[in-house]
Amino acid sequence: MSHAVGDALPPFTIESVSPEAMKQWAVFLADPNPIHLDVEVVKAKGLGDRVINQGPINVAYMMNMLMRAFPGGRIKTMDSRFLDNVYGGDRAVVTGRIAAIEGNAVTCEFSLDVDGRGTVNSGTATIEI
Amino acid sequence: MSDLDDLPPAPDAAGTSLDGDKVFTITAEENAALCRSTGVEPAADGSAHPIYYYIATQVAMGKTVAGVCEACEFDVEDGPMMGSSGVRFDAPLKVGESYKVTGEILSLVRKRSRKLGVMDVLTYRLRLHLLDGTQVLETDNVWVLPRKEFAA
Repeated sequence: MSHAVGDALPPFTIESVSPEAMKQWAVFLADPNPIHLDVEVVKAKGLGDRVINQGPINVAYMMNMLMRAFPGGRIKTMDSRFLDNVYGGDRAVVTGRIAAIEGNAVTCEFSLDVDGRGTVNSGTATIEI
Repeated sequence: MSDLDDLPPAPDAAGTSLDGDKVFTITAEENAALCRSTGVEPAADGSAHPIYYYIATQVAMGKTVAGVCEACEFDVEDGPMMGSSGVRFDAPLKVGESYKVTGEILSLVRKRSRKLGVMDVLTYRLRLHLLDGTQVLETDNVWVLPRKEFAA
């Protein structure tokens, strides 16, 4: 498959961010922070009225978009910026484009957007294809 | 004169070791559950989801999240926030492989922002190794620690 600078990458969509997945990730991360588990704690802290997705899950969504765009490829480097929270029930969409190609290394720019609030994560990555 | 001159400096946390003594093993069962929780199936070639760069280093580093905050004289209950995360892989992560972690706090810098007020910006570096010492990745994470005690 050929690639060119400027090519848009196929989007990766999470139709509804899952509070159940947040419970699993509290175990994966060994970090039972209640803002990911208990909506009453989120409300008490003034952070909203839905549980908040763990940041690394958002990174995983962005990695999923990259891995689907480049089957058999390998992420060599990745930098992610956290701009806002993702909440349980959000519809989240990762989009990206090819920013540079050097040999078998493809550098991509991407973002994670949620309906109604825009970009909540963004980043760059280099994939070895 | 800086607008931070009226504040005490950030705690001297740079250099704090985050070397771990735990061994982290990526199991097939957990990798499959993790992949599915993010909307994809696990890879068939034995590679683990690359987000294990973050999970393995956090779980097997030498301090808990609360412990890292404590090293910065920050109460984890005050809500550390992720600012950024970067990773450089030397090799793919594999299901069934075991890893250990070395690392350290690189810096803790006090800043003032319009949105958050006074905050300390924590940067720490972790490396994931095979048990024979071979490095498989290096990650730098930045957390924002809002210093509510300095709110105007």
